[in-house]
Amino acid sequence: MEFGTIITTILMLTVQEGSILLFATLGEIFTERSGILNLGLEGMMIIGALTSFTIVYTTGNYLLAVLLAITASLMLSLVHAFASISLRVNQTVSGLAITILGLGLSSFLGRPLALSRARVEPIPAIPIPILKDIPIVGSAFFNQNIIVYLSYILAFLVWFILFKTNFGLNVRSVGENPSMADSLGINVFAIRYISTAVGGALCGLSGALLILGYYPSWYDGITLGRGWIAVALVIFSSWNPLYAIAGAYFFGMMGTLNSTFQSIGFYAIPADFFRMLPYTLTILVLTIFSYTKSKKKFGVPAALGQPYSRES
Amino acid sequence: MSEKSSRRDFVKLVAAGVGGVAVGAGIGYLAAPKGSTTTITSTTTASTTVTQTSPSTQRLTAGFIYVGPVGDYGWTYAHDKGREYAKNKLAWLDTKTVESVEEAKVQGAIETLIGQGAKIIFTTSFGFMDGTAEAAAKHPDIYFAHCSGYKSGAAGNATQNLSTYFAEFYQLYYLNGLAAGAMTESGVLGYVAAVPIPEVIRHINAFVLGAQQTASVRGKTIKCYVQWLNQWFDPEGAKKAATSLVENNNADVLGFTEDTPTVLQVAESYQKQGKKVWSFSHYSDMSKEGPNAHLTGQVVNWGPIYIDFISKAYSNAWESVDYWARIGDFAPYRWANLSKVSIKSEGAVYLAPLNPVIPQDVKDLIALRWEEMKELLFEPFTGPIKDMDGKIRLKEGERATHDILWNMDWQIEGVVTPLP
Repeated sequence: MEFGTIITTILMLTVQEGSILLFATLGEIFTERSGILNLGLEGMMIIGALTSFTIVYTTGNYLLAVLLAITASLMLSLVHAFASISLRVNQTVSGLAITILGLGLSSFLGRPLALSRARVEPIPAIPIPILKDIPIVGSAFFNQNIIVYLSYILAFLVWFILFKTNFGLNVRSVGENPSMADSLGINVFAIRYISTAVGGALCGLSGALLILGYYPSWYDGITLGRGWIAVALVIFSSWNPLYAIAGAYFFGMMGTLNSTFQSIGFYAIPADFFRMLPYTLTILVLTIFSYTKSKKKFGVPAALGQPYSRES
Repeated sequence: MSEKSSRRDFVKLVAAGVGGVAVGAGIGYLAAPKGSTTTITSTTTASTTVTQTSPSTQRLTAGFIYVGPVGDYGWTYAHDKGREYAKNKLAWLDTKTVESVEEAKVQGAIETLIGQGAKIIFTTSFGFMDGTAEAAAKHPDIYFAHCSGYKSGAAGNATQNLSTYFAEFYQLYYLNGLAAGAMTESGVLGYVAAVPIPEVIRHINAFVLGAQQTASVRGKTIKCYVQWLNQWFDPEGAKKAATSLVENNNADVLGFTEDTPTVLQVAESYQKQGKKVWSFSHYSDMSKEGPNAHLTGQVVNWGPIYIDFISKAYSNAWESVDYWARIGDFAPYRWANLSKVSIKSEGAVYLAPLNPVIPQDVKDLIALRWEEMKELLFEPFTGPIKDMDGKIRLKEGERATHDILWNMDWQIEGVVTPLP
């Protein structure tokens, strides 16, 4: 048991779990930046997972599977968009409904897959030459599958779009003050629809990575609350895609602490403690957040969760 | 089961232009093989004769109450397969199921099933025990069987219409260990363990005991690292535990008690990368989950037990029992051909297919021990056995009794990780 090996193992597992969380978190940041709160992440993620698994199982086509996972999840997010943007219903309720719908639907539709013990080959890791030979971090970061590599790029891309492009400025201004944005000629409804759809699409990618990358058989509730962790991560990373990388990996790393401590012979802390950590930390961050005077610094969009109507 | 042909039908469906998302999900629903039979249901048991001798054409309804969804991949899935097995064998049987029942709500589910005409009710979670015992007292005309508890008329702490039953794996874990001891290069075993209760501890001990047998003749000593999840269903934790055992502790054979095939899948992914890591089936035959990494494993068929109970209820031959089904119990015949190497699916518990890479002498030993345990000629826990602190737990020649096994709270020599 060498120190370097242990660190590499932690990092490798951290990147795998972190990447699953990262896609969903980035998507939700995009959605929330436009002022739409979508609590349907868990439901969209599991529909993405089911769709991608079904397609690979039946056709063996991984690319098609990932694309359809994205589409399925995106369509579910459009249900939320329609309810919360066009019908202006309570976004919390609508989001929760999406989660419950996704979990129930996937359980129902996935049942034959579970009962027949369907399985697929996981997406293989593709080691990147040279980079993978960097000591300690090399094999952790650069011996992963292609969707994980995509997450490295996507985090920066989302940040770039949100903070360095005109479109991103529009998204943020809609999230801050929709009536002002509207008066400046920005199509609030279109921006919000697009942002919600982006959130849904990335969530589908999360689900596809989860099942095709690491847990290649279907069982009920396979997402195991990761969607909720992602919701927490959005707050944790204060609506910033770059912080989200750190946040997702940090949360991912907490999930590896239990197995790491046990394998080095440190048994004082039970597994349940580590399982509790992400939620505890989120509560802590929320508490600090609520005591902070300048909420602006936290990046919370001012119009988050508020339906926009031209009449009001 | 024609997995291939149904899959082809599927592709046709797709080709027919049925695209889109909802359809994509729906495909899985349509495509999955209908009425699929697994190896579990492929056996024939003598128990069926019971049904043929029954002259009556009366029907009987059996109710099943599950703690999880039948698609849970582990516990509830296995029970539902057992129900299916019984239903296929008994022409006069109707079955009703209630899934995902919270443990405190078992009595409501029981009332529902009685309302639907169930004459015998199975409750398949430890937490259902007290509720089932109360319902049994309230409904003396209904038969009850509770899985994994200790209350029954036979035990004297419940009414006579309540039986209890359990399928025991420790002998199979011992046989797994025999394979593990022969296959390990490093001499290090890993074990991903669910919850620290005597059942799981007994399984770890039996696994290590078996490995020591075959490793010692190969000049190796066995060390076993355990990772505790404190949960029965935890694929995420199991994946991390398995990876840590391989990477940090140099384990190359992974035993596990967790409801999903995750540990086996981790082993398989190492095999794909050219690293020899082995694992097993749990509850059902998972050999397809790890075509290279799968050595053998413990499989349960609740079916013969259900047929036994249901037939007794049907023929008014009921008596309260406390079943602890081990190798050979509920098997169709007692004396088998010793020359067969792979273990046939028979009885309530049996071994998953043996991987051909296991050396022949070990396969023979597994077959021999199997037959011996079937006839109660061999007990893995026979002294001298020391615990991990060096304390003698079983004296020279002493066999573990049911109570010693049932209450096991110590780990044998060779296990490195202390109990949490």
